Amino acid sequence: MYRYDAVDRLIVEERVAQYREQTRQYLAGAIDEDAFKPLRLQNGLYIQRHAPMLRVAIPYGVLLSTQLRKLAAIARAFDRGYAHFTTRQNVQFNWVKVEQVPDILAELAEVNMHAIQTSGSCVRNVTTDAFAGAAPDEIVDPRPYCELMRQWSTLHPEFAHLPRKFKVAFNGAETDRAATAVHDLAFDLYRDQRGEVRLIVKVGGGQGRTPRIASIIKRDLPWRELLTYSEAVLRAYNALGRRDNIYKARVKVQVESLGAEAFAALVDEEWSRLRDGPSTLTDDALARVSKHFVDPPLPEGPAPTGSLEMASGFRAWKARNAKAHRRPDYASVVISLKREGIAPGDATADELEFVGALADRFSFGEARVSHQQNLILPHVARRSLQELYDALGERGLARANIALASDIICCPGGDFCSLANAKSIPLAAAISARLAPIEETLGDISINVSGCINACAHHHVGHIGVLGVEKGGEDWFQVLLGGRSDNGARLGALMGKAVRQHAVPGIIDAMARRYLEMRRGGESFIACVERVGVDAFKALFAEQEQAA
Amino acid sequence: MSVIVEITPDGPCVIGARLAPPERTPNAPANGGHGDARKKIVPVVKPASRPSAEEWEGGRYASLQEWLAGDGRGAVLLQPGDDARVLAGKLSNAALVAVDFHRIGDGRGYTHAFLLRNRLGYTGRLRALGAVTADQALALTRVGFDSLALRDDQSPERALAALQAFPVAYQGAAVAGDQAARDDANLSARTLLLERALVAISEQHERPALASSLAAEDMVMTDAIARLKLPIDIFTLDTGRLHSETLALVPEVRRRYGLDVRVFSPGARAVAAYVAAHGRDGFYEGVAQRKLCCAIRKVAPLGMALEGRDAWITGQRRDQAVSRAALAEREHDVERGIVKYNPLAEWTWSDVLAYAGRYDIPTNALYARGYVSIGCEPCTKAVRPGDDPRSGRWWWEAQANKECGLHAHAPEAA
Repeated sequence: MYRYDAVDRLIVEERVAQYREQTRQYLAGAIDEDAFKPLRLQNGLYIQRHAPMLRVAIPYGVLLSTQLRKLAAIARAFDRGYAHFTTRQNVQFNWVKVEQVPDILAELAEVNMHAIQTSGSCVRNVTTDAFAGAAPDEIVDPRPYCELMRQWSTLHPEFAHLPRKFKVAFNGAETDRAATAVHDLAFDLYRDQRGEVRLIVKVGGGQGRTPRIASIIKRDLPWRELLTYSEAVLRAYNALGRRDNIYKARVKVQVESLGAEAFAALVDEEWSRLRDGPSTLTDDALARVSKHFVDPPLPEGPAPTGSLEMASGFRAWKARNAKAHRRPDYASVVISLKREGIAPGDATADELEFVGALADRFSFGEARVSHQQNLILPHVARRSLQELYDALGERGLARANIALASDIICCPGGDFCSLANAKSIPLAAAISARLAPIEETLGDISINVSGCINACAHHHVGHIGVLGVEKGGEDWFQVLLGGRSDNGARLGALMGKAVRQHAVPGIIDAMARRYLEMRRGGESFIACVERVGVDAFKALFAEQEQAA
Repeated sequence: MSVIVEITPDGPCVIGARLAPPERTPNAPANGGHGDARKKIVPVVKPASRPSAEEWEGGRYASLQEWLAGDGRGAVLLQPGDDARVLAGKLSNAALVAVDFHRIGDGRGYTHAFLLRNRLGYTGRLRALGAVTADQALALTRVGFDSLALRDDQSPERALAALQAFPVAYQGAAVAGDQAARDDANLSARTLLLERALVAISEQHERPALASSLAAEDMVMTDAIARLKLPIDIFTLDTGRLHSETLALVPEVRRRYGLDVRVFSPGARAVAAYVAAHGRDGFYEGVAQRKLCCAIRKVAPLGMALEGRDAWITGQRRDQAVSRAALAEREHDVERGIVKYNPLAEWTWSDVLAYAGRYDIPTNALYARGYVSIGCEPCTKAVRPGDDPRSGRWWWEAQANKECGLHAHAPEAA
């Protein structure tokens, strides 16, 4: 866990003081609405449908128990007693008051948290694999590189007013769990033949109105040039990105219209003047940051002793929610925040404190947030799993549904968001209920429900994606099939015209059952779809649409 | 001509008073700022059709095209869509380069400034104009602007104040560079946080005092108190058994800073009773005898020194001893019912040494002879480099009990 030094602490404190003064001036009428907007956005404050929303960064998804307790205290004192985890390793408070935001930011600063650049046209919170440092397939621990990127991009004077938002992600494992292909700028970390860390650089991925899989523009970047190369990318984007139409302002549009090669050439031209310059990283810089990400010494313990006849509930939970750890006697445990009757990603203050206590008891005080909107205890001794399961069960947090149909990724939607066309949360609940009888049989499947074209729930890269559109004041939905966000990322294909909300669960149920008929052996849903092609499902969609 | 904030070698200053001070009725935000929900996004942004300014102090601005065709004298005004790089080699006689910001959100001008300063080596005056607000002043100056023509409704005072924020920044050597660069930034940040903590203490309390053991930590705070001229008293406890090198710092503080360090001594009667019962060096005989000596020579005088005070400050640090690992920066002294501050709690010994080096503060001569944590002469010895810093204190005792009683009550965190 990165520990703030005085530089980090001072910068966050200064930011709080600066924003406190700006808020005061705004409320007194001395800063107008237009001038205040970028200030509040870059401090995480949106004006939502019912109330302002504050988005707080959880850099690279790492949360300490002290931070969980602080989030709980904030949820109680300034919100309605709960918080919402997003798909980009942020946490949102949906009911804050504009005038109280500086106080919330001061509270966050006490535990080294902030809301800097969680919104606005700037470099956003850097994300990565929620299992970093624990996953058995990790090649390079991405967290030190994320932290260097976080520091460098924080309050960068040249890049605070980009054409649009700019999202950065890192992956250092064999399986990409950071959805890097749909980021503006992303890095795959690997080791060359000499063991030196290098980066594959991808640019121009994104979702929203113009979904696009990122293009590789560099394959062998030395790690020391991480910041110089990023600077070159951002400078090219800042100077030439479109500003006449916000729908065409993301870097993906620029990469698409120029072509990835031409964009890469532009970046290389600029980079040639920056490499080996003052922003080239030193061994000292990496070592300074890396020393914070040495994982706790994991004591060896006896193998699990419990009786061989495990209760079936525990067995199912363990199979679904306890993920392999680089140490065979440990596991990373996913705590599902996808519960019946509760919006995906929501956690109450009591639950945040409870998870903090579990982190202290089972995982060296550390938890993680995944982009699937679940919480993770990264380092749990396998012999303690039963105990942890029992503790979670008492609070209704032991749902064994990780990567199953009910582990739906969902945005706040029309219930909260002022941009949304449709309500995504009730639909997610309906889909989840409809598939419940077959979800064990179905196995791994990712269903993503977005309330609008902005794609906060990543519907383009869900195995099944659902997108809310508005027709004549009513909620309608489009269904997409065949997307994925991991290795071999691909955008889902549209199945047909939009349908009414009540038709969607039936359509998805029919698609799931068709998969069960067609699958070969242990073939997963997405593997089956890729084998038979999405067209095999289109006719089915048309039938269902008619029936509805 | 609008009001211009200029960065000069002597610091920022304001040029050109506003002719008519703005008579603005504050447009308080709708619904207290909680409003504007469901405001639809307007995707198309119309580019401005004309420059935000026509003239500078010396005449008309040339557009980029005019400048490239002209004699290279006067001032050129770059538009957001221009490519600043075409000015390479064409600015040697320029009196002014200005960059037009049509909207706050259009950040191309920042890249213009970067290129002008870093790629073209332009060192002359560089002005931002158009939609230039006080809240952008800091970022603008950080990318190289030294002249900010503020938008008409902007207050130059707020712009000047904004320039004071963020005395340290992440970009450049502090993140990418070697350890020395980060250490340097870190020391600046530590110093500033310390100064703020001391200022806050002096504002929140009537009679705060620094309990100085004359150790380097206390000299750091003495230096900061003196530099900021803060109304914080300084006292020390002369146990009667201190090294002469330690006591030499009392007149040194007076000479160097003009500050009096008030000296409190133990009661003669209590000392005499101790000597009669246990001998002058009776503390070597056992922890009880040692603690009694500490109680008489240190804890009792501390009580006198804190009489009537509402806060005290110590130089304790977390990494000094296992007993201090969880030290808070602000504690409640339960026994006395006052606040106790440990502003250096997060500091490491290298931070203290770095501060001592940067500000050239007087420190105890014993440090040079291998002493680290310095108490009374008979109870302190030099330690080997790398040893526990407190191992030279009461070295004949077990590690766990190494507190004299001044800080032993583990006051609850406030």
